[in-house]
Amino acid sequence: MIKTEKVLHLKSSRGRKVRVVREHYLRERVPCFSALCQAGCENDGKVLPGDLTHYVVPDAEVVLNYLEVLELVELQGVVFTQTACQALHSKGRRFYNRLRNLLKDPRHDCVLFANEFQEFSYCPREKGESQEKWQTRCVYAAAVWYYNHLAGMMNLVMITEDLDAVSRFSSLNSGVYVIGVQEYLQSFWPALQTAQDLYGSVRQALQEKEADGSQREFPEHLPAQVLEAGIKSGRFVQGTLNVSKHRAQNEAFVTSDGLSSKSPDLSAGVLVAGSKSRNRAVHGDLVAVELLPKAEWRGKVTALSEGPADERSGDDNETKPMPTGRVVGILQRNWRDYVVTFPPRDAAQAQSRAAQRVLAVPWDRRIPKVRISTHQADALQDHRLVVRIDSWPSTSLYPNGHSVRVLGRAGELETEVQTVLMENCIHVPPFSEAQLREMPVNSPEKPWAADPAEVAARRDLRQTHLVFSIDPQGCEDVDDTLSVRRLAGGKLLELGVHIADVTHFVREGSLTDLEARSRATTYYLADRRYDMLPAVLSADLCSLLGGVDRYAMSVMWELDAQSLAVTKVWFGRTLIRSSYQLHYELAQALLNGEEAQVPELARLDPEERDAKLSELIQALETLTHIARHLRAQRDRGGALELEGVEVRAQLDQDKNITALVPRQPLEVHETVAECMIYANHCVASKIQEAFPYQALLRRHPPPRQELFSQLVDTARAAGFSIDTRTNKALADSLDRAVDPEDPLVNRLLRMMATQAMSQALYFSTGAQPEDQFYHYGLALDRYTHFTSPIRRYADMVVHRLLTAALQLERGAEPGKPPAGNKDMEELAEHINSRNWAAQRAQNLSTGLFQCLFFKERDPETDPRCVADAIIYSIRDNGVLVFIPEYGVKGPVYMRNKEGLVVAVGPDGTCEWQSGSVRRHSDHITTMSGRGSATFRLFDHITVRISVLSTNCHADTLTLQVISNQPHLGAAPQRPGSPRRSQLVQEVVRLAGEAQEKAARRPELSKEEREFRQSRTPNLYSLLEEIRELALMDPDAAARAGTVMA
Amino acid sequence: MAGLELLSDQGYRLDGRKATELRKVQARMGVFAQADGSAYLEQGNTKALAVVYGPHEMRGSRSRALHDRAVINCQYSMATFSTAERKRRPHGDRKSTEMSLHLKQTFEAAVMTQLFPRSQIDIYVKILQSDGGNYSVCVNAATLAVIDAGIPMRDYVCACTVGFVDETPLADLCYAEESGGVSSLALALLPRGGQIALVQMDARLHQDHLETLIEAAMTACKSVSKVLDEVVRQHLQEASVLSRE
Repeated sequence: MIKTEKVLHLKSSRGRKVRVVREHYLRERVPCFSALCQAGCENDGKVLPGDLTHYVVPDAEVVLNYLEVLELVELQGVVFTQTACQALHSKGRRFYNRLRNLLKDPRHDCVLFANEFQEFSYCPREKGESQEKWQTRCVYAAAVWYYNHLAGMMNLVMITEDLDAVSRFSSLNSGVYVIGVQEYLQSFWPALQTAQDLYGSVRQALQEKEADGSQREFPEHLPAQVLEAGIKSGRFVQGTLNVSKHRAQNEAFVTSDGLSSKSPDLSAGVLVAGSKSRNRAVHGDLVAVELLPKAEWRGKVTALSEGPADERSGDDNETKPMPTGRVVGILQRNWRDYVVTFPPRDAAQAQSRAAQRVLAVPWDRRIPKVRISTHQADALQDHRLVVRIDSWPSTSLYPNGHSVRVLGRAGELETEVQTVLMENCIHVPPFSEAQLREMPVNSPEKPWAADPAEVAARRDLRQTHLVFSIDPQGCEDVDDTLSVRRLAGGKLLELGVHIADVTHFVREGSLTDLEARSRATTYYLADRRYDMLPAVLSADLCSLLGGVDRYAMSVMWELDAQSLAVTKVWFGRTLIRSSYQLHYELAQALLNGEEAQVPELARLDPEERDAKLSELIQALETLTHIARHLRAQRDRGGALELEGVEVRAQLDQDKNITALVPRQPLEVHETVAECMIYANHCVASKIQEAFPYQALLRRHPPPRQELFSQLVDTARAAGFSIDTRTNKALADSLDRAVDPEDPLVNRLLRMMATQAMSQALYFSTGAQPEDQFYHYGLALDRYTHFTSPIRRYADMVVHRLLTAALQLERGAEPGKPPAGNKDMEELAEHINSRNWAAQRAQNLSTGLFQCLFFKERDPETDPRCVADAIIYSIRDNGVLVFIPEYGVKGPVYMRNKEGLVVAVGPDGTCEWQSGSVRRHSDHITTMSGRGSATFRLFDHITVRISVLSTNCHADTLTLQVISNQPHLGAAPQRPGSPRRSQLVQEVVRLAGEAQEKAARRPELSKEEREFRQSRTPNLYSLLEEIRELALMDPDAAARAGTVMA
Repeated sequence: MAGLELLSDQGYRLDGRKATELRKVQARMGVFAQADGSAYLEQGNTKALAVVYGPHEMRGSRSRALHDRAVINCQYSMATFSTAERKRRPHGDRKSTEMSLHLKQTFEAAVMTQLFPRSQIDIYVKILQSDGGNYSVCVNAATLAVIDAGIPMRDYVCACTVGFVDETPLADLCYAEESGGVSSLALALLPRGGQIALVQMDARLHQDHLETLIEAAMTACKSVSKVLDEVVRQHLQEASVLSRE
C-alpha cells in the first residue's frame, strides 16, 4: 500500500473553515468485478458478464442527475465509480441508499469500482481545479484503467453531460469512448424508448429548475444547522407532516412519538393551517415546525366535509384551539412516485407544439398539484401517469416534477387497478426468466419426485400418520395440514401441524427469494391476486395437496389424553402425504354426523369406506376436543374476538356467510385456526429461545385507552357498558353487548373496537424489551407467523430461523448464521410496511369495484341502489352509516350544501327542505316545515347509493337518506356476500365486454381492413373536406358579391 | 451533509484501508543524545516523541520513593500545533492528566521496576501531530524510548485502538473515525504472553461484542509489535556497526 495525503477544506460546526489533512491509502489490487478479469481479482459477489458489447461508466454529474435512467434493468454493464458515489453521498443519504440498493440487487447488472483507492486510477486534485472537473477526470481515469485492466477485451463508454470533457478526452484512448448521455442512449439502446423518455423528462425538469427565478411565493427554509439547534433547544418541533384527507388544502398535522414526552399539550400533534404556513412540505415529509403565539391557535373542523358551514361560520364547529404552527424547514423529504391525471385541455392552449407546462392533479388528494413540462400534453389528456417530484423552489406555487410512465386512460379498469398498486408502492412485475429457471420442474413428462437423500434426512410420516388439510373450497395453495393420533395405548395424544416447506425450494439469497422478500406477501385485490412465489411452487410443489408426497416442516405435540397437558414438543422437517383435502363445510358436516361425500373415498368399496370414514371422523373429533381446550386456555388469558376489516376481506372466499347476520363461523374454522395459533406460539418461543436478539416475532401492542372513547359512548347510547381496561374485560363486555333484536349492533361495536386497536406488527426480538412482546389480541406472550409460508415472507424467515435453531440444537454449525438484529429489524419494518400497503390496496380495490358497480346503474330506478343502513356515529351535519348488504361505510348528510335539511314525512319518506339541524350526543334532530325528525344511534334507515365521479381522484359513493324506516327489501334472506363476489364478477365482465367490443369493431367494415385505413378522421377525409370548402367558397363569394352589388 | 460512511459495502474505510489494516508505522530510536532514551514514532498522521530519563534518584520529595521498586513518572503533552485548530494549553488539562495516568499504569505493568528500588524513571511523551489514536501512539513511542534507555521490560508494550462499526471491528482508528461516533476501545498488550496491560473504553458497547473487539485489538497489537521489533533490530544493527567503527 502506498500512503498519500490529501488536504481538504471543511467547514467546522461553528462555520469556520478548517484545513484538514487526511491520509489516503492506495493499493494495487482493487477488485474489478468483471468476468473478463485476467489478473485474478477477488471478485466475490456480483460480477459483470463478459458477453456485453461495452461497459458504461457514468460521470459523477450523470449519476447525480440521471440515476433514475441508470436504474432501468435493461441497461447492462454499468460501472459506478467511487467518485460518483461520493458525489451522490454528499447530495443526501437517501440518494446514496438508492444507489446502494441498486448495487446490492442481483437483478441489476452494475458494480462499484473503488477507483480512488486504486494506485493507477487515482488522480489527486490539482490546485485551482474545480470539483466537477476533478470528478470528471477521476471517472475518465477509472474508465481507462478498466480498459487496460481487461486487456482491451471490452470497450468502455464514459457518459457525461460535460461537453468540454467529451472534446477533451474522446480522442485520447482508442477503446474508451466519451459521449453525452443522449447520444449514448440513442446509439446503444435505440430500442429502449422508456430510457429516452425518462431522460428527456428529467432533463426538462432540470432545465426548468435553472430557468426559474421570479418572485417568491414561500418563505425560504432555514438551514439545517439552525433547524437542528432549534429542535434541540425546543424552539422548533420535529415531526411527520400528515395532511388531512378531507381538507387537504388547509389542514395538516405534525405528529411525532417524541412530542408527548416533552410537553403534554403537544401529544395530539401540531396543527398547520393553510398552505402558506405549510411552506412546501408534502404529506409524509419530516419537518420542523415553529409554534405560533397562543392567540393564533385554532381548532380543527369536525363537521363532515363539504358541509356548508365550513367557510361561512368557521368558528362554531371547530374544536377548542390546539397548538398551531408553521413549517420552518424540512428535515427529510419523503417523496415517492405519485399517480397523477392530466387535466383535459381547452382548445386555446392546444395549438402550441413546444414543451408545455401542465399542472397535473395527483390521485391522492393530500398531494399538491405537480407541474410537469412535456411535449406530449395533448396525447396525454385524461391519462393517468406516474410522476416523480424533483423540487419545489420557493418561487413556485407548485412543485416541479417529471413523468416516468403512462398508466392509461382514466376510468378504465386496468388503469385504476394499476393506480391502486402504484399509490401503495406495490411493484409486481411478472416473474423473470432467470427466476423461473431456478424453479424445480414438475410437468407430466418430467414429474417431480422426492430426492432420496432428502427422504433419508426427513422424518417419514407417510405410513404412520393420517394427515389431512382443511381449507376453503377451491383452495390452490394448501400450506397447512393437520394430523392427530393416539399413542401408548390411548394414554397420549399426538397432535401434528405440518406446514409446506417452502424454504427447501427457495434458497436464501436466490433470485426468487429476493423477489419474494421485496413483495413480502401475496397481494389480494378484489378481482385478482399477485402471488409472492411463482405458481409452480405456490400452487403445486409447495402446496400440500392430497395423495402426493410433499416436504413439510412439522410441529408435533404429545399431550396427555386426560388433562390435555403438553408433555413433549417436536420440531423438524418431515415428508408427508396428505390423505384428505377437505373443505370447511365438508369437515363440519362430518363432525355433525351428517351424510357427506368425501371425494377421496368415493371409489372404495363400502366396507373399507366406512372404516376409513370413521377413522377420519374420530380424528376430527379429537382435534376439535383439543382445540376447544386450547381456546379455553387462551380465553382465560383474555383473547379477543374481533369483527372488522379482516373479516370483510375474507368475505369473498367464505361463501356461506349472510351479510345481515354477524359471521357465524363454523366450529371447524376455529379448530383449524386454534391449532395454527398454537403452532405459531410454540415456534415463537422456540426461536426466541435460540436467538434471543434476532428472532422475528409478531406483537400486538395494547391500544391507547383514549381511542376507545367513541366505542364506549356509542355503546352507552345503546344501553351497554364496555370495560376497556384489559383485553379480558373488553372481550367479556363485548360478549355481553348483544341486542337480541338486532344482531348488527354487536357486530358494529366489535368493528369499532377493532378500529381502536393498534396494528399488530413484526419485530426483531433484539429491538424491543421483553415485556413488549405481548400479543394483545390473542393474549399470548410470544407470537409469530409460521403457518403460511406460501403467501407471507415473514413465515419463510421464521422457517429459516427454526431450521437454524434445530441445527444449533443438534450441535452442528448452521450453514449461514441468521441475520443480525439490525438487519432483522429492517426486514420486519419492510414486511410491516408491505403488509399495510397490501391491506390498503385491497380496501381501495374493493372500493373501486363498488364504485364501478354502482356507476353502471341509475340510482333513481335501479332497486339495487337502495339499501338498508344503520347509524353508528353522529356528526354535526350528518351521520355515519354502515350498509351491511354491501359492506359500505359512509356519511349521510342531514344538511346539504344549500343549507336544506332532511325533512321526514308521515310515511317516513325524506325530502330536502329549509330548516335547522341540532346535534346531541346520541341523536341528531332536524327541524323543518314538516316538523322535526330525530335520527338515533343504531337506527335503521334507507339510503340511496350513487357514485360521485371525479376525473382525477378515486370515485366515491355518496349516500342519501330516502326514508327513516328500515329498507323493506333488505331482508336477511337476501344473501349478501355472494353479492359482493357477484359485484366483482359483473364489473370484470363489463370491462371485458367493452374491450371485446373495441376489438370487434374493425371486423365490421371490409374496406377498412383491405385498405388499412382508419375510418373517419384520417388525412384523406380531411383534405376532401377542405377541397369541398374551397369549391364552395367562390360560389359563396360570388353570391355575396351579387347581394352587395 | 449526510454522516460519513465509515465502512463501505465493499469493506473500505474512509482512507482506503480495510477493516483490519493498520496505518503506516514508521519509527526511529535514539533521536536525542542528551536523554537516556528517546524515540520518534509516526502512525499514519499521528506523530509522537518520547523521552526517557532514569532510572535515577528520586527528585523532589523523597517520601514518594518506594522501598521495593522504582517509581514511574509520566507526563503527556500535546504540541499547540498538533491539531487542526491551535491548542491553547499544551499540557495540564484534564485529558492530559488522565492520559499521563494511563501511561503510568501501562508502564508500571511492563517495566521491571523491582530491579530499581528507591529510584525513579521519567517518561515524557509529546504529541507533535494528532490524528487519532493518541494513547496507542504514545505507548508505542514510549516503549521504544524505554528500550533505547536500556531499562529492562517484561516485553514490548504495544497498544492499538479498535472501533466497532456495523458489527465489524476496525483496527487503528484515525481521527475522522474516532469523531464519527464509533465506540472505540484502546488496549495495551504484552504480546508474547498475551497479557493485557491496560484496557480503556468510554463508549457504550453491548457486552456480547466485547470479546470480538478485544480479540481484534490483540491481533492489531501483535502486528504493531512486529513492526516495533523490526525497528529495534534495525537500530541495534546500526548502533553496533557504529560502535565497531
